[in-house]
Amino acid sequence: MTTPAETPDEITRRSFISRSAVAGGAVVLAGTAGAALAGCGSSSSSSGGSSTSGTPGVGTGQPVKGGSLTVGILAEIDGFYPPSNHWDTNGFLYANTIYDPLVAVDTKGNYAPYLCKSITPNSTNDTWTMTLRPGVKFSDGSALTAAVVVSNYNALKASLLTGQALQQVVSCTASDDMTVVYTLQGPNATFPLGLTSQLGYVVGQSMIDAVKSGKANPTPVGTGPFIYESWQPNDHFTATRNPNYWRAGLPYLDQITFKPIPDTVQRESTLKTSGIDMMISSDPGTIKRFENQSNYQMVDTRTGVIGEPTVAYIALNTEQEPTNDLSIRQALAHGLNTAVLLKIFGAGIAKAMTGIFLPDSPYYSETNYPAYDQAKARQLVNAYKARHGTPTITLTTIPDPKIIQVSQAIQQMWNEVGFDVQINPIQQADLVTDLVVGKFQAITAYQFGNVTPDLNYVWWSTTTISPIGKIGLNFPRNADPIIEESMLAGRHATDQATRVKAYQTVNERLAKDLPYLWLEQWLFSEIAQDRVQNFANPTLPDGGAQYAFDEGIFVPTQIWLAG
Amino acid sequence: MGKYLARRAAQLLVVSFIISVLAFLLVHLLPGDPSVTILGTNDTEANRAILFKQLGLDKPLWQQYITWVTAIFHGDLGQSYLNHLPVTQILTTGFPVDLELIVISQIIAFSVAIPLALVVARKPNQPLDTASSTAAFGLLALPPFVVAPIMVAVFAVGLGWFPATGWVPLTQSFTENLHHMILPSLAITAGSIAVYYRLFRSDLIATLQEDFITMARSKGLTNRRIMWRHAFRPSTFSLLAAAGVNIGALIAGTFVVEFLFALPGIGYSLVQAVYQRDYLVVQGISLVVAIAFVLIQFIVDFIFTVVDPRVVRE
Repeated sequence: MTTPAETPDEITRRSFISRSAVAGGAVVLAGTAGAALAGCGSSSSSSGGSSTSGTPGVGTGQPVKGGSLTVGILAEIDGFYPPSNHWDTNGFLYANTIYDPLVAVDTKGNYAPYLCKSITPNSTNDTWTMTLRPGVKFSDGSALTAAVVVSNYNALKASLLTGQALQQVVSCTASDDMTVVYTLQGPNATFPLGLTSQLGYVVGQSMIDAVKSGKANPTPVGTGPFIYESWQPNDHFTATRNPNYWRAGLPYLDQITFKPIPDTVQRESTLKTSGIDMMISSDPGTIKRFENQSNYQMVDTRTGVIGEPTVAYIALNTEQEPTNDLSIRQALAHGLNTAVLLKIFGAGIAKAMTGIFLPDSPYYSETNYPAYDQAKARQLVNAYKARHGTPTITLTTIPDPKIIQVSQAIQQMWNEVGFDVQINPIQQADLVTDLVVGKFQAITAYQFGNVTPDLNYVWWSTTTISPIGKIGLNFPRNADPIIEESMLAGRHATDQATRVKAYQTVNERLAKDLPYLWLEQWLFSEIAQDRVQNFANPTLPDGGAQYAFDEGIFVPTQIWLAG
Repeated sequence: MGKYLARRAAQLLVVSFIISVLAFLLVHLLPGDPSVTILGTNDTEANRAILFKQLGLDKPLWQQYITWVTAIFHGDLGQSYLNHLPVTQILTTGFPVDLELIVISQIIAFSVAIPLALVVARKPNQPLDTASSTAAFGLLALPPFVVAPIMVAVFAVGLGWFPATGWVPLTQSFTENLHHMILPSLAITAGSIAVYYRLFRSDLIATLQEDFITMARSKGLTNRRIMWRHAFRPSTFSLLAAAGVNIGALIAGTFVVEFLFALPGIGYSLVQAVYQRDYLVVQGISLVVAIAFVLIQFIVDFIFTVVDPRVVRE
């Protein structure tokens, strides 16, 4: 899913840490279950730009109906079908346009009904009953019923891509026309948050049937605010207003078009020349450039992240020599000067990470993550050398010039402390494959960004470790029973204090086990012309503010264009 | 001429056959199980079924080739396992973009290079010749990925004359289409102008020193008549040959410009397919592009026979 020859910084960033989560196969789930809060954006997300009036992304004045919005996005997607397509930021933008999620997230990080009217647990949190909203129609005129939701679940469960993320669900049945019952393997007090992801977007039965009959990428059928009109990959995706949308009076826009413009500078130029009204970026340089520009509104993820941010990291394989040796992983961590890397990469605004959570997260805790310490690194390498000889590390990355530049900086840092480091530049698709089948020692990637740490279970669980050569979602193959126990404790907890303790333990164990060397928070921004109103201020169907902006994903339902 | 063209057509068929075999083998030269290698983490049952059906992987190689070629003759080049779009659809949507890019850029290149060479060749080594030759060197040294951002910065963002990215189909709006295609075309034109100018200038200068030109001058013919009637045609051989190769290379070779200007051309689709290991798309596009290249060379050969009938005799 990465594109070739992207220019300046974004290319670099997008590909350096080569989008494990979004790019391939089952890995996508990170980008979905995890990263994606799918339909949830957030008015509470940060606002970093300047605007001629008010808070960026929050509409002023009366909403205006009509008009057409064009959005420049990062790249093209591979399709609209949740069970088989790999949705990243771009995929979720498309999804929010033509589909609705069953559940969304409010600005406090709690789940909130969206397409469903309610979702409630039994007393032990292992059975969840969902009641659907009445009167909701798909774009083909069919009704939203429990049977359709169950049919969606069955397709997701059967999919190699999404099936593992539904591991905890024992069954999903329709108890009546409008009621769906999920039975889980064990208690999970935050189960509905999983339905804010790719797993929770509901497509029409006719679309499922079309796929079953062999049509691999049928016309999307959804309940969303807009109806699919046309899609020419790498050129545009256009959807028009759904006149029968179940949320009365919405959407405001008549039409929305997404244009993939993979080069970040060209995307910026297109915005400046009004070729697009709005753009998404994951380049800190873009944030820096638009920070003080008038006539534009910008929101970004430097603040306001709920749960955990998307994080760039180097994964270390705990089952391959020599990274299976904890002292080697410690030496690599001590030998890595992230401050220098951020100077090359971060435009002076990206934040270094030493764990999965940001300091303002309730789950954040100080850990013993190894600080940059060349002397300590040398000492550990020397001790290893005495036992096994010089440790050779292959750093797998992709062959983008700037990425190679950063990889060479890392290579130099590690060579300085006694490693013999080789850089292995491979194509994006190969990198993702190597990541999931464990064919690496050290590999660059970015991932996570979940609204609740429970969604990381598939990535950190001992149950998702596979032998090298087989697909395993626990990429570093880190088998830590304490992490497993804590993840389950967090999942089963009914009180926040227990949950906080559990996830803090996980964070601490990750700092101790070192399956990941944390690099930086992966930033996203959303920049719009001043006339684009309310793009970061959606409300939930039952009232209250919706988490509106994360990972470049917004909800187009309540956007309008000022005259 | 008929015999000559028939011989060239026969060669074209042989080359096309070889190309088709190579394109076919592209998938089979991959190490290991082709389905695993091709699909990678997308190795789902559905994708595997599509792949086996398309490639007939359970049959002997020669049968697979025949099946594949037969499907091609029925307009079926396979489909992307990523977005499941037929390769023919990718080609039919992308080809007009490339065609336009090539046509417009070549019109610009010929419009600049030929008149300039005609002027300069009459008085070589004068200041205009020196200046234009230096400029040509400069243009040759400027690849599209350098030219494009500069053009966007100046003509799109700075002056606001052209859009920075995007494409409007010709069928939707002729003027908007042209408006969007000017900058991308200019970005790939620079190198062509330099090559065409330098070749045509050299050939013209050489032609103007031929005996038949001296004879024409001694007859009192005007410079204009000598240039257009006697010197122009014999000086176009290298230009034609270069244009043939250049135009062939531009088919799917404009991916940098397509990427930078977000144009949905086949070059960009091809590069994306390579990066994403979407081998059936790579295979289909490679086949069509290679055959188009060979066809263009055939057309150039035909034009040669018109420009210089001696080619046929030789």
